[in-house]
Amino acid sequence: MTILLQALLNGVMNGALIAVPAIGFTAIFAVLRYPNFAIAAYATIGAFAAWWVNVHFGAGILPALLIAFAVAGCVGVSAEETALKPLRGAGALTVAIGSIALNTVLENVVRLFFGNDLRGYDLPLVPDWRFMGLRVGPQQLQSLFFAVVIMGAVFAFLRYTRFGKAMRAVADNPDLARLKGIEPAHIAVMTIFLGAGLAGIGGVLIGLDASIDPMLGFRVLLTVFAAAVLGGLGSIPGAVAGALAIGIAEECALLVVPATYRSAVGFAAILLVLTVRPRGFFGERAN
Amino acid sequence: MSLLVARDIVAGYGAAEQILKKASIHVEAGEIVTIIGPNGAGKSTLLKVVAGLVPAREGSIQLGGEDVTRFGAVDRTRSGISFVPQERNVFGNLSIAENLEISAYRDSGDASRRIEELYERYPMLAGKRRDLARTLSGGQRQILAMAMGLMTAPKLLLLDEPTAGLSPRAADELFDAIVALNRGGLPILMVEQHAVEALAVSTRGYVLVSGKESAEGPGPQLAADPEIRRLFLGG
Repeated sequence: MTILLQALLNGVMNGALIAVPAIGFTAIFAVLRYPNFAIAAYATIGAFAAWWVNVHFGAGILPALLIAFAVAGCVGVSAEETALKPLRGAGALTVAIGSIALNTVLENVVRLFFGNDLRGYDLPLVPDWRFMGLRVGPQQLQSLFFAVVIMGAVFAFLRYTRFGKAMRAVADNPDLARLKGIEPAHIAVMTIFLGAGLAGIGGVLIGLDASIDPMLGFRVLLTVFAAAVLGGLGSIPGAVAGALAIGIAEECALLVVPATYRSAVGFAAILLVLTVRPRGFFGERAN
Repeated sequence: MSLLVARDIVAGYGAAEQILKKASIHVEAGEIVTIIGPNGAGKSTLLKVVAGLVPAREGSIQLGGEDVTRFGAVDRTRSGISFVPQERNVFGNLSIAENLEISAYRDSGDASRRIEELYERYPMLAGKRRDLARTLSGGQRQILAMAMGLMTAPKLLLLDEPTAGLSPRAADELFDAIVALNRGGLPILMVEQHAVEALAVSTRGYVLVSGKESAEGPGPQLAADPEIRRLFLGG
């Protein structure tokens, strides 16, 4: 029983971390209507930007997260404008394939500057806490706290700010949004910034749990994609629910299969959703 | 000076397709003008050209004396044209209050007061302000779409088949709402499938055939014309 509870606890922790880039991925899909797989590179770039200011300038986690958000957001917008935007006229599939190529290029740029070595954030080592037979690291709790705060901030932004409502309006009906004086192209740029920025933060939170390397984003890409599909592509609450479900499923799967099969959970989830409920938990474009 | 003058409009969707063939209409202050005609005549296209959603290849459009021919949809909205499309005319995943707020995106300073005015005018919206727009009935949705069109305090309201798909009772209620709006001084240009009812409440009407106006006259007079009734109004 304790093992199961520990798996559930770990699953919630991991799911919350995955939820942050999954929100970014699904927000971009909701507004631009294509899956942007370069989100993996944005997560990696965010993780390295945070590592740089943390190790070289002694920045704490909060400023490092802000730097990760800004750097990943700026890279995301620049890459979108130069590499993906010219492909939009050719259709969603072409842009999606282009984003895979872009991801490879950006990942290798990171590799060029930082090499392939594993790197860790400069943080004090603290022992895990134990209660009722369960084990949890203070760092994990801190990351969970940041993930929850960030998710809350995104929800508040979308629900209460003028720009957030405009984003939802464009995701819902871009033609009508244009009639109401909203310029979908401007909203698209800001959405890319937000989505890539969230991926950058997600990269840091995932890196805090272990270490970072140029493959960090690529390793979680399938899980992020599966979370978004499971929740319903384009649905932000869906991305959170999907990420938690995938996180828990992955941890529980480890109870019965070797760790090497962990990524198979993502594939299984996508297969199951496409077969049983193609619209995911919250349906297409539910907000 | 006319409020809206669209002169010799040529427009279409594909490169070779020409739906409007030198169509001309005008709207005076305080009027309700209805465009009727057979399917494919270009009625909705003409409204979209006036709204800036379809570019005019030839011709000119003036609003209050200002040439807006080269303006896009966003700038036409800023100039005072508000277009309510026939379909997908509300943001289904936003609440009614959010739909109204977002409709004043460019000029949100006075939005709260305008929303309260609209709640007074349409109490149904006030009662459902937190509901998602996709939960509304067809008639309620059209009222919301019209209210959204009013959020920009337009000089001219364009309605594309506002009663399409509504029950006769809901259509009558919507016509009452349109007339009430016009009595408040708002000029309205609409395309309508319920031609008899629409012409009966219109100051003037146009009959559009094959992309060009073939007749024009006072609404009730057009509705009573035996030839027009035979051709377009079902007897």
